[in-house]
Amino acid sequence: MHPQRSSTAAHLSRRSFLVGAGAIGAGLALAGCAPQGAGVTEISFYISKPEVIGYFDTLIAKFHKTQSTVRVIRDSTSNLSADFVRNSPPDLGCLNYNFSMVQFVERGALSDLSDMPEAGRINPDITPLVKATADYPGRTSVIPYSLTAASVLYNKDLFAKYGVAIPTTWDELAAAAATFMAAGISPFFNTYKDTWTVAQGLFDYTVGGMIDIPSFFAKLRSEGTSVGSSSRVSFQKDFEAAMARVSQLTSYANKDAASRGYGDGNLAFAQGKSAMYLQGPWALGELAKTNKALNIGTFPLPVTNDPADLKVRVNVDLALWIPEASTKKAAARSFLSYLMRPEIHNAYNADNNAFGTTKDAPPAANPALAGMQKYYDDAAFYLGASQLIPSAIPVANYAQSIALGARPGPVLEQLDGDWSRLALRS
Amino acid sequence: MAVVTNALPGGKARVRGRVDKTYYAFLVPGLVLFTLAITLPALMGIFYSFTNSVGYGQFSFSGVINYIALFSDPTIRGAYGFTIGFALVTVAVVNFVAFLLAIGLTARIRAKVALRAVFVLPMVVSGIVIAYVFNFLFSNSLPAAAGALGFAPLEQSLLANPDLAWVAIVIVTAWQAIPSTILIYIAGILAIPADVYEAAALDGASASRQLRSITVPLTAGYILINVIIGFKNFLNSYDIIVGLTNGGPGTSTTSIAMSIFQGFTNGDYSYQMANATIFFLIALVIAFLQLRVTRGKASA
Repeated sequence: MHPQRSSTAAHLSRRSFLVGAGAIGAGLALAGCAPQGAGVTEISFYISKPEVIGYFDTLIAKFHKTQSTVRVIRDSTSNLSADFVRNSPPDLGCLNYNFSMVQFVERGALSDLSDMPEAGRINPDITPLVKATADYPGRTSVIPYSLTAASVLYNKDLFAKYGVAIPTTWDELAAAAATFMAAGISPFFNTYKDTWTVAQGLFDYTVGGMIDIPSFFAKLRSEGTSVGSSSRVSFQKDFEAAMARVSQLTSYANKDAASRGYGDGNLAFAQGKSAMYLQGPWALGELAKTNKALNIGTFPLPVTNDPADLKVRVNVDLALWIPEASTKKAAARSFLSYLMRPEIHNAYNADNNAFGTTKDAPPAANPALAGMQKYYDDAAFYLGASQLIPSAIPVANYAQSIALGARPGPVLEQLDGDWSRLALRS
Repeated sequence: MAVVTNALPGGKARVRGRVDKTYYAFLVPGLVLFTLAITLPALMGIFYSFTNSVGYGQFSFSGVINYIALFSDPTIRGAYGFTIGFALVTVAVVNFVAFLLAIGLTARIRAKVALRAVFVLPMVVSGIVIAYVFNFLFSNSLPAAAGALGFAPLEQSLLANPDLAWVAIVIVTAWQAIPSTILIYIAGILAIPADVYEAAALDGASASRQLRSITVPLTAGYILINVIIGFKNFLNSYDIIVGLTNGGPGTSTTSIAMSIFQGFTNGDYSYQMANATIFFLIALVIAFLQLRVTRGKASA
């Protein structure tokens, strides 16, 4: 060792003493809010919904204040598929539960959560929705966290002004549309330029209002490569009536629907340029940006003449899961339990225009969603057909074609062909 | 080092025309990069086209099923039909317009250099930006103008018409591609010796005769290069279509490159790898064609 250095170390100067004392003090202060030592487990938490990343950052900060053994690192940019391939997936995932999750669930990449008390609190009406998307036998692979319900948004003031009641049958809807058209108001504002708006609105609402979606897709899957004009179920046979409704509904829309997009639609509906708008609760925030005073209500789109057929479109907007490959499952479970605490969980859904997923979830907080509460309570809901068709099939583009005036027959035939070709190769 | 100093001029090795091994060493970095970044991924892609892989996880071999499904898929056939037709039309439009502009920009006119700069400007703007600007023009400005003028056919957006959306894509692609084509034509026209024109003028040839008998034949090599390079580029069209129509209305303007890329995002990896393999073979044929043609011209 260097002689000079050892002599300095031996004599504790006043200056180095102060530095040392300061460091210890700072260390103690840091330990209070950010423990770094032994006994602390760091977990990665994957959340990809861009609108709520900040919301969850706040929740993570709150969680850190309640305990000192688990530190949560939020990740919203990793490539999830690549992470699973590298065997280093996030310890806790909080994602939209749709077709992109199917592979992870069905190949058993997600651990079983059925022994958690939180799993037992889930509303049994919602479990079939989760299983319809993807299921691993004998496991509770995910815990649904947030359910969004979508239907017709309507301008309450315009409905009141022209004395139109909420339509519960197709004929009433047609009469309401006639009333608005006579008054020079576009009944619907449609936005065909953005294909997803056609798929989630016109396409899903008409199909979901007419067809028993779970049974249709179960039969369609068992048909596999033989889906076509001669199979038991097919798009060309079973969707024809719904697509005829799409064509009828397009005649009630704004003239420039073909060149309007989602942003244009939000602006126009917020300005009162149409009485109805086929969008989900995610649009409410955008509408408020233009017109805070807009008086919005919701009702399921009637496509038959039997009010008993009325249903709303739902999707499991967020679901929690812990991968098998996680080495910190216990820590991940403790954060999952924290997120599932009723005061945290219910507040999230109230703040984000969503419905709860537990048996004891309170009614939707936003008054605009009140029109859908009854259907949520009665489990009169369905998963959008466009979300159950694998993304390799451009169903949103096909829906756009029909909205723009293509004959539904050949388009549905192509959809059948796509389905059978996909079944052949996968 | 010792080897290099020994191989001085006049050494036997140099006389026999053998290249010093050091030169080969310089090839190694490029070769390694090319192999790792291009050749290997391409071979892997071809390999995966014979499986049912989704890009990760387990997979099994499926033989030529992807190819069978591919050839019976109307969406894929539509993408090939659209892309090839679009490339042919665009290459014709681009070269015709660019050639005329190049003649104008090489003529004895005022502010020649400034005008050339103006015409070349679209080249420096990114394709996706151009596409979004034109998207707005086609969706809002053009229908509004047509409505004010009472011109019914254009009151509906061109982009929303399944039969005419491709016209809009041709216009925008041409707008972006013309500048680089102009530059090559200007170079070609300026390379023609002035005395040929003088002789023609003395013989009483008119301007149009000079164009037909001198300018066009003497720039034939440039026309050929522009046509082949342009065609190859337009076959790869992606960004402008994404910004204008995103493949729609329906799937009427989905290009081959777009359908291949959708395989990554839609869990259809192996299927679109089969598509990419077919597309690669087509590109290979065009590349050989280009090589043959340009080699002949370069030596002439």
